[in-house]
Amino acid sequence: MTTATPRRDSIKHVFLWPAFLVVLVVSLFPLIYALSVSFQTMRLVPPSPPRFVGLDNYAAVLASGRFWGSIWTTAVIVFVSVALQYVIGLVLALALHHNVKGASLYRVTFLLPMFLAPVCVALIARMIFHPVLGPLNDGLTLLGAANIPFLTSPGLAVGVLISVEVWQWTPFVVLLMLAGLQGLPSEVFEAARVDDIPAWRRFTGITFPMLLPLSVAVIFIRLIEGFKLIDTVFVLTGGGPGTATETLTLFAYSEGFKKFNIGMTSALSFMFLIVVIVFGTLYLAAAQRLTRRFT
Amino acid sequence: MNENRIFRRLGLIIALIWLFFCLFPLWWVLVTAFKPPIAVSEGATYLPFIDFWPTLNAFHEAFSGIRGDFVGPILSSVLVSVVVTVLSVFLGSMAAYALVRFEFRIRLLAGLIFAVIAIGGFMLLTMSFGIRAPYALVVVLVLGLGVAVPMNGLNLPGPVMGNDDVTFWFVSQRMFPPIVSAFALFLLYSEANKVGVRLLDSFPGLVIAYTAFGLPFAVWLMRDFFSTLPVEVEEAAQVDDIGRMRIFFQIVLPMSKPGLVATSMIVLSFIWNEFLFALLLTSSKWQTLPILLAGQNSSRGDEWWAISVATLVSIAPMIVVAAILGRMMRSGLLAGSIK
Repeated sequence: MTTATPRRDSIKHVFLWPAFLVVLVVSLFPLIYALSVSFQTMRLVPPSPPRFVGLDNYAAVLASGRFWGSIWTTAVIVFVSVALQYVIGLVLALALHHNVKGASLYRVTFLLPMFLAPVCVALIARMIFHPVLGPLNDGLTLLGAANIPFLTSPGLAVGVLISVEVWQWTPFVVLLMLAGLQGLPSEVFEAARVDDIPAWRRFTGITFPMLLPLSVAVIFIRLIEGFKLIDTVFVLTGGGPGTATETLTLFAYSEGFKKFNIGMTSALSFMFLIVVIVFGTLYLAAAQRLTRRFT
Repeated sequence: MNENRIFRRLGLIIALIWLFFCLFPLWWVLVTAFKPPIAVSEGATYLPFIDFWPTLNAFHEAFSGIRGDFVGPILSSVLVSVVVTVLSVFLGSMAAYALVRFEFRIRLLAGLIFAVIAIGGFMLLTMSFGIRAPYALVVVLVLGLGVAVPMNGLNLPGPVMGNDDVTFWFVSQRMFPPIVSAFALFLLYSEANKVGVRLLDSFPGLVIAYTAFGLPFAVWLMRDFFSTLPVEVEEAAQVDDIGRMRIFFQIVLPMSKPGLVATSMIVLSFIWNEFLFALLLTSSKWQTLPILLAGQNSSRGDEWWAISVATLVSIAPMIVVAAILGRMMRSGLLAGSIK
């Protein structure tokens, strides 16, 4: 710490407070408002005067099949896609780390998808997965398969969303795992090479355990971010067919802006917050156990 | 050694497959932007000059504005993202600098008192006294801070939180599902509109929301960056009795250019691509590019050439961003920020 006198030290408040106030006022204060609204019935169309109803909105959310359906859909998309992102991302990071041919060419290309707007990615995916005009079905027809209705069959639509998520977010895993690999101490690997430990054992015995804490963090970030999923679904399927691909955020949005049921939407978004906290806590507890077993 | 070569080859094959998987959609959108309608409606075509004859029609159509305003959303997107990036990186750097070079002590009890005053006071004011939400918020904010800040100076019992907790508080804002705060912000903005402060579908409204959205990143990334700077230069300047503000602006910031660039790029990409807040908080005048794009889907249907042009406009600046960050990644700058 610097040895500043208390009088001089007070300038630290000038540095911190503007940012602190902006975040406090814009992120947290609206939450208080939403919390109080979630205990009331409130509609914008047709406008009705707010009335205090206690936990009724929460009970209605819990009783709604669409809520549980959207949790299930979101969880499937998020867990499957994050698992794939992690495995593929780690393999690619290893390949880049060991400088496969043309590694410098891949670096920027591999990064690119995560900087594109999810809306753009979804629009491109819509073209590619188009049942008649899209290149994917074009290729499949060439191989003799029938046209597949990717976006209109429930199971396939979820699969398409997962593949879009993998396409866009595997780069994030590559980026961080590569940075992690580059930060590992090289002495250990040299020692292992001298002892002639085979490559696969080097990976399972040294590299993977050493990367475990970073892996836990990377997967955690991806899970949290994944649960926010809306833009891709909004453009690609709109939640359909039926509500087969409706994610939590999309459900909350349509509840608020199609039905204008404000109280219910606020309750729903708080339930969503609870779901994320529950999943997050479970994950961190499980990850901690895993880490302990490996180290 | 033999086994090593197998892995090497396997890695190369996987990397090549991924490269194709990565690039094909981008290639597709690039060529589709130049396709004449017939090259779309008669099945998939891939290669310009062979499969179809490229044309610039779609670009003309888009920018001349025959089919709806296209330049407007681009301008508002550019304006909003640039202003927000500058604001949040600036404010975020200041906060990050304070968190690295000074010590903060926040008593948990004072924080709890603030929360109780804020939440309880707000509910009381709006539900029992029928005061409008925006006014009630201002009242509880002033009251809450007015009570909690002096109390923090007292010798209260209970745990004391330090700089790491403040940083975590900033970062944790990102863990909330954004629909919670976006929706709440929408409610608040529409209340503010009713009392005459126009925030919904306005430039200030969008900038305020996005600045709060970008700040956690800026604080987090810049804190890591500042903590790698040597403190000696600043100490020397302090001995010469140069004020902290001047030290920050004339010594620290110029030394941090790489960090500022990287942070700006990341914040810029987040704001440029952001969808949910813009969807809720804008309707017509300040619609941003992602909202326009999402609308293309229903308004344009199978007019893929038009959709592709719009998509390319949104993608192009991000390619530059990715290239800059890719180069920085090679120089190991990002390796430090993950710890």
